[in-house]
Amino acid sequence: MIEVQDLALAAGKFRIDHLHLSLPEEAFNILLGPTGSGKTLILESIIGLRKFQRGRIVIDGQEVQNLPPEKRGISYVPQDLALFPHLTVEENLLYGLRAKKKFRGNSDPHLNHLITALKIENLLSRYPQGLSGGEKQRVALGRALAPSPRLLLLDEPLTALDPAMKSEIQQLLISLHRSLSFTALHVTHDLDEAYLLGERIHVLIDGKLEQSGRREEVFLHPQTIAVARFLGLRNLFSARVLRFDEGERSVSAWVWDREVIIPSDHAAGHLTVGEEVILYLRPEEVMILRPDKPVRESLRRNILAGKIETILDRGNHRWVLFRPAGLEVYLEINLPNYVFRNLDLKEGQEIRVAMRRESFWIIPTK
Amino acid sequence: MRKKGEERYINFEKTAIFAALALFLFYVVLIMALLTFFEEKGFLEVLLSPDTLFSIRLSLMTATLAMLLAVAVALPAAYALSRLNFPGKKLVDTFLELPMIMSPVALGAALLIFFNTKVGNIIQEKGILFVFEFPGIILAQFATIAGLATRLMKTTLDEISPRYEAVARSLGASAWGAFLGVTFPLAFRGLLSAMILCWAKAVGEFGATVTLAGTMAFKTETMPVAIFMALASADIPKTTILILILTGIGLAALYAVRLVEKRPQIV
Repeated sequence: MIEVQDLALAAGKFRIDHLHLSLPEEAFNILLGPTGSGKTLILESIIGLRKFQRGRIVIDGQEVQNLPPEKRGISYVPQDLALFPHLTVEENLLYGLRAKKKFRGNSDPHLNHLITALKIENLLSRYPQGLSGGEKQRVALGRALAPSPRLLLLDEPLTALDPAMKSEIQQLLISLHRSLSFTALHVTHDLDEAYLLGERIHVLIDGKLEQSGRREEVFLHPQTIAVARFLGLRNLFSARVLRFDEGERSVSAWVWDREVIIPSDHAAGHLTVGEEVILYLRPEEVMILRPDKPVRESLRRNILAGKIETILDRGNHRWVLFRPAGLEVYLEINLPNYVFRNLDLKEGQEIRVAMRRESFWIIPTK
Repeated sequence: MRKKGEERYINFEKTAIFAALALFLFYVVLIMALLTFFEEKGFLEVLLSPDTLFSIRLSLMTATLAMLLAVAVALPAAYALSRLNFPGKKLVDTFLELPMIMSPVALGAALLIFFNTKVGNIIQEKGILFVFEFPGIILAQFATIAGLATRLMKTTLDEISPRYEAVARSLGASAWGAFLGVTFPLAFRGLLSAMILCWAKAVGEFGATVTLAGTMAFKTETMPVAIFMALASADIPKTTILILILTGIGLAALYAVRLVEKRPQIV
């Protein structure tokens, strides 16, 4: 386990305080947050490039915050990769092993495995200048992994790549992680990349670690409004807690001038009656009812009638903006293209939508 | 037919090129003027005369020592100014530019006055004699070029991303190891050209040297001092020859800088 405990640091006016971060052994961790949220500051603190006011960095039970960077056993791939331009690819790869006096000749099985896995056998005698973006990425990963670090830190290294190359390197990262099982902390603001690579996601917003957890937990069930907004969650509505039903294991909330019942395990944190909360449901979980078909019992409670305001073709799905009659709110609905075609929807059309109670989630506002 | 804007741009280019050529011509005329007083017969005689040879030797030796001393201080100072944060950094940075804008005579006078203070006296009595002595020339040249050396080396280091060192450190290199193994080789050409420029400036240094070390023949008479002395005694042919020699050394140094900077980083 690698832990950042009670970290406090300041950079200009920006502050991070009481930050705790736990990186489980051999997991691919993602530090996810918008630009300017302090991700790189945390990374630099872990490596030892930045002094901080308070805090501990513990790797396998050993406190390393007072050690110089070279004694921490942490490898680092910066955004610009920083391949040494005066050294060949091979010399770049061996830099760490040589610096640590761990170079055991070219027959080192770990090194050979890396070179094969990264497909850089043919590049060894070349200099970084002549390499393509993807080749540079692979060399930088190899250089970082060659000394078998206790932790691999990646600071948005894929940002500058075109989509095809990015996807290739992402696949490579996944397969490398499977075969070498290193602990990684990958910094990014890219949601797709975070979802694809991350086993555990740590969401950092404005210097505050808003949520840490398994990928699905974080992406499907944000615990705070800041995380929900950053993850691009749509359909957030102000609501008020009405009552709890212990027997039914449910929470009632007042929203859209009506009572909505939500399973109690869909509510984050401890709620009290009368508390203002945010209620959300994912756009793909809103169902459009066909006028000619009977409505299932489970859907009957939460039905809204209204009008389609806008329809947009988003390529892999249609996005429908729905305005319930008599309410000052909009609902966003994502429809798979085949469903859209079957329903034959048009802008301005009157429709009815339904939501299952399991589709609702509650986020506290405090 | 050319568009109006295009024409204006070409005029602009022509003006810029004309300025460059005019400046070049200005210096060529100056050197040509020297040649009108140049007497071929006397050239070898003046060049090989013991006092000229002494001046050349003295200039080259003191400039080299002053440059090495300046680099020894300027390189770590440039590193600190380029990479590290410390209280008073801006103030230090500003002060280092002072010798570049301060008159060399003023700098020499300040040194001379310093050696007349109590501390200065103690240094002279218990340590090294500077005033009107060989070490005085080195100190005067050092004072003139140390700030410049720091500025040039800082510019070179500024161009090299500190991330190289950061990565090298994370890979297991010590602070020294990362500097020597990564930053230094990457900065080498820039540092070398800074050294050559500072050396050439030290060779041509006059004001501070003459004020602190005086004009004693066979003792503190560097090339520029010799030029001044020859001119003062109205020996125009000797003055001309000495200037040509000094100009030759300077041009060779500048050409060396171009060679160093021209070479591609990686062959």
